[in-house]
Amino acid sequence: MYGRWILLFALGVIAVLMASPLILTVFTSLKPSTELVNPAWYPPLSVTFEHYVRVWTDGGFSRYFFNTLLISVIDAAVMIVIASLAAYAMVFIEFRGKLALQILFLIGLMIPVTAIVLPLFQIVRSFGLLNTHFGVILADLALAVSVFVFMFTSYFVGVPKALHEAARIDGATEFQIYRRVIMPIAMPAVVTTALLEFLWSWNDLLLRLLLLTQDEMRTLSVGLLNFQGTMTRDVTGLSSGTVIMAIPVVILFLFFQRHFVRGMTAGAVK
Amino acid sequence: MAGLDLKNLSKAYGQVEVLHDINLAIADGEFVVFVGPSGCGKSTLLRMIAGLEKITGGDLLIGGNRANDLSPRQRNIAMVFQSYALYPQMTVAQNMGFSLSLERRPKAEIAQKVQEAADSLKLGPYLDRKPGQLSGGQRQRVAIGRAIVRSPQVFLLDEPLSNLDAALRSETRVEISELHQRMETTMIYVTHDQVEAMTMADRIVVLNGGYIEQVGSPMELYNHPATEFVAGFIGSPKMNFVKGRFADRVGATTLGVRPEHFVVGKADDSWEGIVTLVERLGHDTILYVKVPDAGVLTVSLNGQHDQNVGDTIYLRPVQDFIHKFNDAGRPIAA
Repeated sequence: MYGRWILLFALGVIAVLMASPLILTVFTSLKPSTELVNPAWYPPLSVTFEHYVRVWTDGGFSRYFFNTLLISVIDAAVMIVIASLAAYAMVFIEFRGKLALQILFLIGLMIPVTAIVLPLFQIVRSFGLLNTHFGVILADLALAVSVFVFMFTSYFVGVPKALHEAARIDGATEFQIYRRVIMPIAMPAVVTTALLEFLWSWNDLLLRLLLLTQDEMRTLSVGLLNFQGTMTRDVTGLSSGTVIMAIPVVILFLFFQRHFVRGMTAGAVK
Repeated sequence: MAGLDLKNLSKAYGQVEVLHDINLAIADGEFVVFVGPSGCGKSTLLRMIAGLEKITGGDLLIGGNRANDLSPRQRNIAMVFQSYALYPQMTVAQNMGFSLSLERRPKAEIAQKVQEAADSLKLGPYLDRKPGQLSGGQRQRVAIGRAIVRSPQVFLLDEPLSNLDAALRSETRVEISELHQRMETTMIYVTHDQVEAMTMADRIVVLNGGYIEQVGSPMELYNHPATEFVAGFIGSPKMNFVKGRFADRVGATTLGVRPEHFVVGKADDSWEGIVTLVERLGHDTILYVKVPDAGVLTVSLNGQHDQNVGDTIYLRPVQDFIHKFNDAGRPIAA
């Protein structure tokens, strides 16, 4: 009897601890500047959206938001196509060098981004893609493709081979089988890929800081740095910027949570 | 419609050859059943005909044309899979019309052909349902419908009834036989169930260990098995094999007697045994009889009999129906 209450209390404490940064950020973003002298955990006595307006207009967040959205949406959409096609070939088509390619993807999983960030910068520069969204998208895709190929592969191996064979007997080409038979039943993997890639792209700072130096090309994560100097910190700007940045991800996750969890666990249990 | 010729067909995975020198001619419109134990290569042979497995030796001719290098689509065959392999995201109508939609046939034509096939398979009320909303038997009929809609040259069926319960299996068996009579298309059917083979086939191909053991009509195989293996595989309950003094008496290494070819005789001219188990099926009574020097024999007596476990019984094989085999398991001519 008491065990259950102790467990609930412990879980409640953990939940509050985990949610508290978000709650404090939202509180701060809604407080008038006069209330900033109060402790951070005080809720705003009078709610104001002035910081949001300031960040959105003067802070350049409208442009950053558009840039981030553009890069993230393209990242996610292209990643779904590339990773699913590669995984489809890995699972359903026999070809020479398949094992070598699998090993290559595996190596891709093991290399941390920070280890190759300088050569990556050189490559992007040598292609003349510095300060272009295209350059960032290419780098994003190249760095994350291994992860999503493995995710789609683990999903596709659970698809009965007989479906692929039945479609071949029905006269479908490999691309028709991919598009009309396999992909429609791989929606959990598609949604998971879209969400994760969108999330990674949306939140990434390192590549954007490195590859996008011009202000008009920047993204939200880089834009947030504008509110933080060496000696000063615009706490309300930072908080409202953070909330603006977090809202789309939270909304997306809430909408697709069910698919997301199913996609993440696909292949774990037969 | 088309006949098939399999000429010296073989299949190897690396160094391991799993099908050896298969020669078989299948006539246009014939219903041929490949039968054999698990791992004998029957499904592999079917998949080679379908184009799902590469042919590593010999020639496959469909309608007189070499088809070794043709894709499944170019072979114009249809296949029904053991697992049904229905597209779960499509409705029954979409499943059945998928091949036609790939050929970019007009929608009206697709709808008409799907409707015709659905009517013949009693699937009309289910056309808008997804496969997940159907029973096993209905799914199997959709899989057959998907094959019918294409009007293929050859139908291939890979153990299509093995996922159905006993009652539905015998019902669907009849439906497939009727379908064949109606369509008169060449059908190749794979099963490990010799009852299915006996009841449906024009000709049965018995495979064992990657070789064809015998090809013939069900009654040819039953009455004149070419090997001891075929004799044991065809017939239910299976044939009794007796070695030792009983076989020596008739000049054979092995004496084969089908359970239904024993009669209960008298003490002087019969084999004496003890009943160890009785199965009463109503129309038949199956006895398991322990006979010294012969082992436990299965005996099928027509009608209902009152033997019980522990009874002494005298059995006499009907001489006209005994099978004699030599050391190599080949029949000895009478």
